[in-house]
Amino acid sequence: MIDHAVRTFIALAGEIGLHYDFLASPSEVRPWIAGMGTTLLLILLAIPLSLAAGVAFAAALTSGRPWLAGPVRTYVELTRNTPTLVQLMFAFFALNMLLSKALGGAANNPFTPFFWVVAVTGLHIAAFHAEALRGGIEAVPAAMVETAHAIGFSGFEVLRYVTLPLALRTAMPAIVNNLVNLVKLTTIGSAIAVGEVTYASIMIWTQRDNVLELMIVILLFFGLINTALSQIGRYVERRLAVPGYGV
Amino acid sequence: MARISSFKSCLGALALASLSLIASRAAQADATLNRIKGRQKLTVGIILSGAPFGYIDPQSRAEKGFNIDLARALAEKLGVKVELVTVTPPNRVQFLQQGKVDILIANMQFTEDRAKIMDHVQTPYDRAGGAALGRKDSGIKDWADLKGKPVCISQGSNYAQPLADTYGAAVKGIPSQPESMLALQGGNCVVAVHVAPTIKLLLADRPNEWKDYAVIIPTELEPADSVIWLRKGERDTGAALDAAVRDLHASGAMLEMAKANRLVDPTFIEEARRTYAAPAKP
Repeated sequence: MIDHAVRTFIALAGEIGLHYDFLASPSEVRPWIAGMGTTLLLILLAIPLSLAAGVAFAAALTSGRPWLAGPVRTYVELTRNTPTLVQLMFAFFALNMLLSKALGGAANNPFTPFFWVVAVTGLHIAAFHAEALRGGIEAVPAAMVETAHAIGFSGFEVLRYVTLPLALRTAMPAIVNNLVNLVKLTTIGSAIAVGEVTYASIMIWTQRDNVLELMIVILLFFGLINTALSQIGRYVERRLAVPGYGV
Repeated sequence: MARISSFKSCLGALALASLSLIASRAAQADATLNRIKGRQKLTVGIILSGAPFGYIDPQSRAEKGFNIDLARALAEKLGVKVELVTVTPPNRVQFLQQGKVDILIANMQFTEDRAKIMDHVQTPYDRAGGAALGRKDSGIKDWADLKGKPVCISQGSNYAQPLADTYGAAVKGIPSQPESMLALQGGNCVVAVHVAPTIKLLLADRPNEWKDYAVIIPTELEPADSVIWLRKGERDTGAALDAAVRDLHASGAMLEMAKANRLVDPTFIEEARRTYAAPAKP
């Protein structure tokens, strides 16, 4: 049934000059479908990592403690101002190689290329989350923070119960923006042979030279993921809205 | 509703893409040779994947290598100037089909899949197979030993399929050859498989950096003819270039180019010279 549908599709696409013949070859389709799965897995792991690290960075930046804010500020600037691809190459080819040497050979190194993609994209986007949240935290009226302190909240409690919940609401659109970027950023995994969907497509089109055909699928694939992501973002935004607060 | 609109936009994209394909194909119906003569220029898509085939000379910043010399020699045979366009694996076929280049001399061996969408010059200019570079102490002696082991190749090489399908290796496609070499040195793969002449030249040029490494499998992987690719149906261009390639083989010019660019093992070109230099029967 599926076989028949695939063959009909290949024939139809062939009519208009598009070569989807690879769909009939299981040894090529399997890694390609697995590539879509790997992309989704990368996204599912990198999003929570970026959010957790982003909140931690924002808390450090607004903590008022120079020994905490200073290093994080340096990290955020360094990460925001350098290309992610370069960071990934550096992490994988330089850091990873040094780690292998320190651990006595590549066989003992537990860090896979997959790990480096999640870490680099997640922590890269975390820097952007941190800046968005910092803006939100600083936008909370000083009187409100003062009141919280006056009724006995500690610094952490103020962050946890007063500033962060409000900052999250202000920063929501920016955070969703960052997450959409993160989804697209996972494609750099192809540079270090992580089998996500662009890598799987590259491996097919270098054999068959059907770049256009696969590009169409990749565009639709990421288009769908990000449409879903921004819908979820908008839903969360509506749910969190505080009537009368303006966010 | 959302489903319908996304289906429509999908159809739209397909229609647009196919229209541009049809338009570009119709406009070039076997007119390449006329265009080359008319413009007095042969536009060649070349790939700069490293010595000896194509690279940027660090001093002069000019393109150099065997593929570039071949492009120049062909243009000379046709009596026109040469224009070089650097292409990469993902864009080379599009460049050819959209008419940005007239021919491709881009490290593309003959494969059945390629022959479906492009034509090629019948006479090959070289023959190349893959060599496996690995640590001397890796214990690998045959392609079959690569089963389940990580193998680095460059994205765009034709070795992915035979390595994965025939030998069961875990193929890792790294964007280009220098990065693949780095991945090999970093222990991310047990061997790196690239076109044999590039690996042999690397070992010859940098013996110190690569002293622990060697070509550890004696046979070459999938030796195949290196051919010049052109758009489907361009018979006149193909015939003119075929004559030029035979001529270059017969006169020994091809062999000279190979030697000048230090193709370490030009056995195929030497044989081709003998074949084509043999006097035709009267």
